[in-house]
Amino acid sequence: MIKKTLSIEGMHCASCAGNVEKSLKSVNGVQNVKVSLLFKKAEVEGEQLNEEEIKKAVSKLGYKVSAIK
Amino acid sequence: MEMNHRAHDMDRMEGHDHSKMEDSEITSWKRKLVWSWVFAVPIALLMLLDRIFGYNPFMGLVGAESYMTILILVLAFPIVFVFGFHTMKYGLKGLFTFYFGMDSLISLGTLVAYLTGVFSLFFSIVDYSGVSGMIMAIFITGKYVEAMARGRATREIMKLLEFGAKKARVIRGKEEIEIDVAELKIGDIMIVKPGEKIPTDGIVIKGESSVDEAMVTGESIPVSKRKGNNVIGATINQEGILYVKAGKVGEDTFLSHIIKLVEEAQSSKVPIQKLADKITSIFVPLILVLAFLTFMDWWLIVGSLSGAIGNAVAVLVIACPCALGLAVPIALTVGSGIGAKNGILIRKGEAIQTMKEVKTVAFDKTGTITKGKPEVTDVYSKVRENYLLEVAASLEKLSEHPIAKAIVNYANLKKYSSVKNFRILGGRGLEGTIGKKKILIGNRTLMKEKGINVNLFMGKLDEFENKGKTTMIVSENGNVIGIIGVADAVKEDSFEAMRELNKNFRTVMITGDNERTARAIADKVGIKEIVANVLPEQKANKIIELQNSGMVAFVGDGINDAPALKQANVGIAIGSGSDIAIEAGDIVLARGSLLGVVQAINLSKATFSKIKQNLFWAFAYNVVAIPFAVLGFLHPIVAEIAMAASSISVVMNANLLRRKKI
Repeated sequence: MIKKTLSIEGMHCASCAGNVEKSLKSVNGVQNVKVSLLFKKAEVEGEQLNEEEIKKAVSKLGYKVSAIK
Repeated sequence: MEMNHRAHDMDRMEGHDHSKMEDSEITSWKRKLVWSWVFAVPIALLMLLDRIFGYNPFMGLVGAESYMTILILVLAFPIVFVFGFHTMKYGLKGLFTFYFGMDSLISLGTLVAYLTGVFSLFFSIVDYSGVSGMIMAIFITGKYVEAMARGRATREIMKLLEFGAKKARVIRGKEEIEIDVAELKIGDIMIVKPGEKIPTDGIVIKGESSVDEAMVTGESIPVSKRKGNNVIGATINQEGILYVKAGKVGEDTFLSHIIKLVEEAQSSKVPIQKLADKITSIFVPLILVLAFLTFMDWWLIVGSLSGAIGNAVAVLVIACPCALGLAVPIALTVGSGIGAKNGILIRKGEAIQTMKEVKTVAFDKTGTITKGKPEVTDVYSKVRENYLLEVAASLEKLSEHPIAKAIVNYANLKKYSSVKNFRILGGRGLEGTIGKKKILIGNRTLMKEKGINVNLFMGKLDEFENKGKTTMIVSENGNVIGIIGVADAVKEDSFEAMRELNKNFRTVMITGDNERTARAIADKVGIKEIVANVLPEQKANKIIELQNSGMVAFVGDGINDAPALKQANVGIAIGSGSDIAIEAGDIVLARGSLLGVVQAINLSKATFSKIKQNLFWAFAYNVVAIPFAVLGFLHPIVAEIAMAASSISVVMNANLLRRKKI
């Protein structure tokens, strides 16, 4: 299981966070997603994670991934 | 003065990444807010003058109405499309991608309202363009206030993240140089001057001072430190210079562990949140449908297109998924922040919900209720006490057993007698010769085995053991010369903690000790029940038995406790213990004190009741406000003010948690 932490800019309400969670969950290989609105972070877990796809899942909603690790 | 100056110096050396991020959000909302109102105030004045006095600045001109509309459209444009750009962008994007958010509602509402102004130039409908500017300005204001309040909510946690020292002064070769903390290696000798932070965990090798550990352990009184004492990185040296040998660096330090725990907690969920999350996820589309139905209803059935638009806009802007979505996490954040400040780390949000169901609090004994370090408490001797101790300590010096250490520490000899023929008699005692004397130290079983008569000491032996002490019998050439009572002292504040806990809980002590010792300690601290003679691997099973009569919280520290901490409904790990127990705990106490258990329980209860309040108000607000808007009782501007107020009130209510004394 790999875990990645994303810093996300632009989320400022609970439904934003909900959308990011939903979108990240739909990415191939992602098993677990936790989004923290207050700390502007998302944790993604899965067996195989493609950083580009993960970034795209966030950016297509209009938010920016400022860091991923 | 000098100290303050230094503290400032150190502060400047440290980055403030997290608060910067928060600040930039607040500054950006603030800028938008100021500019929005520069345009919104004239709009408000024009609308009021028109509404109340029927005054129009273009009065007398042909098409005065249209000029007025155009003026308002011009004034509202920057508010809606420039300062509200981000909201419009995310919101409208969401409408097309079906990822609806709060912004979708606001952007659709303001866009429709703005367009009525444009259309009113050509058709006969009411002009809501001024309203659109007002809605966006109020929305931005609300977001600004909310961002500020949110910043307050995360304050303690952000502080914790920034708390580590950034620079360290170390001795390399013969020189004293300054390096980044990241470059520190285990074994480096660090020089810590008064007022400075200790760069990383280590052990004092020279110097004497006191250290303020409040930020990591919650202990408010500075702890005195001298050669041989452990110090925690990020704590502040008070008055003397300390030379510290680095013991842990990077992710292994105490502070790093604490930060990891606190961060984990932020993304953990409180079960009660599930319902709110579910509603939030379908909330926006639901409101869009409702706004559409409101529009159709007012247009087709009531027959008023203007009323239809106004009320549909009111529905769009009054619905507030924010309050619902923030209700739980914001309270959890404030609660865990307060906890972190007091050395109580809530790792799992679930624990604060479970805590209110807990009926029984079970404790491990050694290291939890007691200090975990045996000390000599009684000496009874037939010879000179100093002589007895000298003999005993000289033998015990050669053993690693905790009881042996206690005796050596107590005797505190400058010189030890030389011991020959030393032997450890597994689990029973020690033997050896000093000069021509054959010395034997051990328990009753050993004395019996060696045929040594202890009858003269029977009374004292019983007395010590009834008080929960382990006794060591010392004999010289086959005659008992004295006995030494050793006990693991109870932590000073265990008494007070038990008194508090006994008011509301069934308290139980689980221990591997025999019944008599366990009973003695339980009676002393005021624990009602004991479960004695429990092997480490059986502790979890005992918890299951206790769970038959309600939920159980278990407090423990050692590696042996990990399964019990996991089995309990709420596992409270005493953090100065091993890392494994920390991993297994739902709540971790950074300070060893049992009063932390009382505080953790109080904090959990207070936080959970805040969560419930917040959820109630957020639900109630939407349930009441939306029907009002549908029925046309709310002007869109009033609706927007109510919306902003509702999400702000949730955040502010969570911040009130700070007032609670834990």
